[in-house]
Amino acid sequence: MYENNDPKTLTYVGKSALRKDVGDKLTGKAMYVSDMKLPGMLYAQVKKSPHARARIVHIDTAKAEALPGVRAVLTGDDLSYRIGLYIVDKNILAKGEVRHYGEAVAAVAATSLEIARKAVDLIEVEYEVMQPVLNHMDAMKEDAVLVHPDLGSYEYLESSFTPVPNTNIANWTKLRKGDVEKGFKESAYIVEREYDNPSVQHVPMETHVAIVQWGPRDTVTIWTSAQSPFTVRNLFCHTFSLPLGKVRVIVPAVGGGFGGKAGIHLEPLVACLSRKAGGLPVKFQATREEEFSLLPCRSALTYRIKTGVSLEGKILAQKMEMFWDAGAYADYAVNVTRASGYSASGPYEIPNAWVDAYTVYTNKPYGTAYRGFGHVEFHWGVERHMDLIAKIIGIDPLEFRKKNALRPGSITLTGEKITAHTGNVIACMDAVAKSIKYGKLTAAEKRREAETGKKIGKGIALLQKAPAMPSNTATAAVIKMNSDASVTVNIGLTEIGQGSTTALAQIVAERLGFDLDKVYVKLEKDTESDPYDWQTVASKGLLMSGNACILACEDMLRKGYAVASHILKAGVEDLAHDGERIYVKHDEENSISWQKIAVGYAYPDGESIGGPLIGVGSYIAQGLSNLDKQTGQGKPALDWTFGAHGIICEVDPVTGEYAVRKIASAFDVGKVVNPSLLRGQIVGGMLQGLGTAVCEGYIYDEAGHLLNPSFTDNKIPTSRDLPMEIETIAVESSQIDGPYGARGVAEHPMISVAPALGNAIQSAVDADLLHMPIRAEDVWRAMHNHHPIDNWITKTPTGSCRSDPAARRHTPDAAISP
Amino acid sequence: MIHQFSYMAPTELDDLLALLDTTKGGFKLLAGGTDLLVNIRNGLLKPDLVIDVKRIAGAGAITYDVEKGLQLGWATTINDIISSTEIAKHYPLLQACACDLASYQVRNRATVVGNIVNASPCSDMAPALLCLDASILVATATTRKTIPIQKFFTGVKQTVLQPREMVVGITIPSHTKDSKGVYRKLKRIQGHDLGIVGVAVAMVEGRLRIAVSSAAPTPVITDDLPLDVSAPDALYAVERIINPISDIRCTKEYRRFMVSEFTKRLIQEVRA
Repeated sequence: MYENNDPKTLTYVGKSALRKDVGDKLTGKAMYVSDMKLPGMLYAQVKKSPHARARIVHIDTAKAEALPGVRAVLTGDDLSYRIGLYIVDKNILAKGEVRHYGEAVAAVAATSLEIARKAVDLIEVEYEVMQPVLNHMDAMKEDAVLVHPDLGSYEYLESSFTPVPNTNIANWTKLRKGDVEKGFKESAYIVEREYDNPSVQHVPMETHVAIVQWGPRDTVTIWTSAQSPFTVRNLFCHTFSLPLGKVRVIVPAVGGGFGGKAGIHLEPLVACLSRKAGGLPVKFQATREEEFSLLPCRSALTYRIKTGVSLEGKILAQKMEMFWDAGAYADYAVNVTRASGYSASGPYEIPNAWVDAYTVYTNKPYGTAYRGFGHVEFHWGVERHMDLIAKIIGIDPLEFRKKNALRPGSITLTGEKITAHTGNVIACMDAVAKSIKYGKLTAAEKRREAETGKKIGKGIALLQKAPAMPSNTATAAVIKMNSDASVTVNIGLTEIGQGSTTALAQIVAERLGFDLDKVYVKLEKDTESDPYDWQTVASKGLLMSGNACILACEDMLRKGYAVASHILKAGVEDLAHDGERIYVKHDEENSISWQKIAVGYAYPDGESIGGPLIGVGSYIAQGLSNLDKQTGQGKPALDWTFGAHGIICEVDPVTGEYAVRKIASAFDVGKVVNPSLLRGQIVGGMLQGLGTAVCEGYIYDEAGHLLNPSFTDNKIPTSRDLPMEIETIAVESSQIDGPYGARGVAEHPMISVAPALGNAIQSAVDADLLHMPIRAEDVWRAMHNHHPIDNWITKTPTGSCRSDPAARRHTPDAAISP
Repeated sequence: MIHQFSYMAPTELDDLLALLDTTKGGFKLLAGGTDLLVNIRNGLLKPDLVIDVKRIAGAGAITYDVEKGLQLGWATTINDIISSTEIAKHYPLLQACACDLASYQVRNRATVVGNIVNASPCSDMAPALLCLDASILVATATTRKTIPIQKFFTGVKQTVLQPREMVVGITIPSHTKDSKGVYRKLKRIQGHDLGIVGVAVAMVEGRLRIAVSSAAPTPVITDDLPLDVSAPDALYAVERIINPISDIRCTKEYRRFMVSEFTKRLIQEVRA
């Protein structure tokens, strides 16, 4: 789709344009599912497990059912459907056993929210509490409690995943490239470390919400705050064995998703309540607290990296072991594991590589997709590791990265060859290094250090990510011309804040040569009237839907030209057009306006030709393949987006308190479609990354209760946490198959913020930070070599404990002299 | 509706106090509601009656008199404190603490009295009030008494207040006016957050006093120290009054360390 357009000839692509959705969202006019109320609508509430692992002995719903206003009560025994994206391991309501704190055990629909709450309180559940397995490293042990003893009998997607029956391993992704043992033997240095990330929450502004009406003859209508209407429909129909045509999914404006609204969540439960209540519409909206444990989070990760490096600083071999904490259900975590497994080295060429990536079941709220899809988590390890290796072998961290970075001709972990059009990670690194004046302190910075007693450090981290999606991922666009010669674009991609509505309108206006104001992109999505799109995830929207839009534009122009050719009595090859009309190139007076042919042309005598102009464009990912399950070799990546962050940080060398003074972020986006949207995307992602770097994380007690299930103690950053100076930089190495050369940059700004910060703090006060997040106390402990806090499973309320030292080993470096 | 309750908003203080005296069933006083409404929403409190104390003339008054000092109403909000020029001039420590409390939006609602009757160990206003010798005016339908703030807190979320008593004002005496004071709070984010520890140091009538929040079951204050107190002596005085715990916000080691580090720095700052 890339046409070698001179940027000077472009009217809209490459220029800032106001977001199409901004007016309605700022004035409160935009309609969200949260705002909706249907006639006769019931309100649902859920009874949740207070235990991490327990046998359900008995549930008594009699009192709830007797309460006036209650229309439906459900328990797990009433439902015989199991759901799961890749491994079908989850009951809609817990059956027989609860597997995590906050799991849904029973549900109620009533005529008011108040009655529904009261009814839930009246449901009595008798539990037999059992010993949970909480730490994912404990869950890997041979004698560990099994979260899913029946794992071996579950249905799963065999082409991509490998569950290990009779263990807690929901998936084991392997990758083998070259000969790691040989590589280690030839290495002058071997550095091995272990890095940790806790679970975190997406925190969309609009919590999960769905309204479902199970109508007569099993026609089901679902209004939901979801990223992917077509995937909701597919999975819903699969679960209930319904034909796709009977189920309609409508997604109006969405108040943020960040991966947490990919796949399917509340819809099946709400649908069952509606059916039980005789087909009345039922609404369920999660509270903020329910977002933290009823709904899924981001998986925790323990990442061990062992790297062999030559005397000259070339990485010769790397062994990577990832332990992903799925929580109680596999959901997306198995695919996060797979996508992280094949990208595990970050943007570096590793000639001899070995990856074992495990998804591990535990009795905790389960993990799902989250912006970055594993890459935020493992880049923390990779990019801290690169700095630590450089320090150990005595080489500049950037020089070390440059020696090993992917460049044209490099071979990735999965055997893909990098070209000049793949993107340029070194250019991103150089750009941020220049921006923060990496490697030295300026005179002003030195003066500031002297005045404040604080230490200023600078750190850089690189990143890469490709869309994690099936090889046959597809989308389509339909462009309909209105009789005033404006166009309405229908796509299945949802607007979740990323700005696709605006960027795609710019692409359509550019390709049609129409005024941007004449291009409307339908905001509300409806599986009954919009063309298919797999999911709004993976940073693939701009590239794939952009291409589909261009193809649809071309289709519409072709159809318009065909009609004009008759009217103007000229060959289509002799025609050209502008925003107003189609004309004959050598006789410009001879023209017909778009308006006159928009919905069909009538000759002066009344005879008519043409008909409504509709352009259709379909696009499918090309050249991708499933990965070999033994070696991980294949082609998983539609496109790679590379990037880098550089951070200037000021650290109190006594207390460990710190402040980010500047952050510079550069991404090779191929082609900037809208500079202000790009900056918005980068600043938003960067701050989200900074939040997980600075303070976010789930904390449990030893019984598996979530101790910080709300904003009181699960803080996220606010605008006051923005660094004082933010520079955003675009590098443009055209993506040959991207629209106008563009590639996605939705998730990427969040990746590698944490290691850039960790590297900056290390350079300021030499604190060896291996765990996220980086709180002031963590820096203080690292500076003084105190034991790190065992953050994530703790005795409460007095004192923290280390859950199992053996499972959290830190292998000392083996620095072998040559 | 999460929980149904009756709501009354008397317009005379006497009526309000009479209501407290006679009402049956569980009731709660509503000032800013920044704790009460959250607790009702979370199902932790289910009062039958909520009595709004803000509708009485003078509820949010701030009066300053050279002789009598500063008088705060029972519904004076945190933002009222911040926007008062007289407080800025005579009681800067009160403003320093107020500025670190929650967010602007919460400060529009939250009241000084609410902050202390809630008696959280991490109260932001208590360190200032302790340093400035505040007195709490407590009333019932038939009685009036004054309690020094030092005797007000009895434990985590506990005070000396009896069920039918109400705080009807705070007096900050004139002898602590124009005292220099500084406050520092350790937080997890730059925006609104509960204190992990908070330390206030004030120079009052030629003596130093140090108040600490989030490091003991109640906010605490040292005895008066000489202005030129040595760092070890000051830290010893602080060590004696704090008793930090480890919780999900922080370990007790770090709390102890940060209290002493803030104390050292703030003493230098207040002397400067």
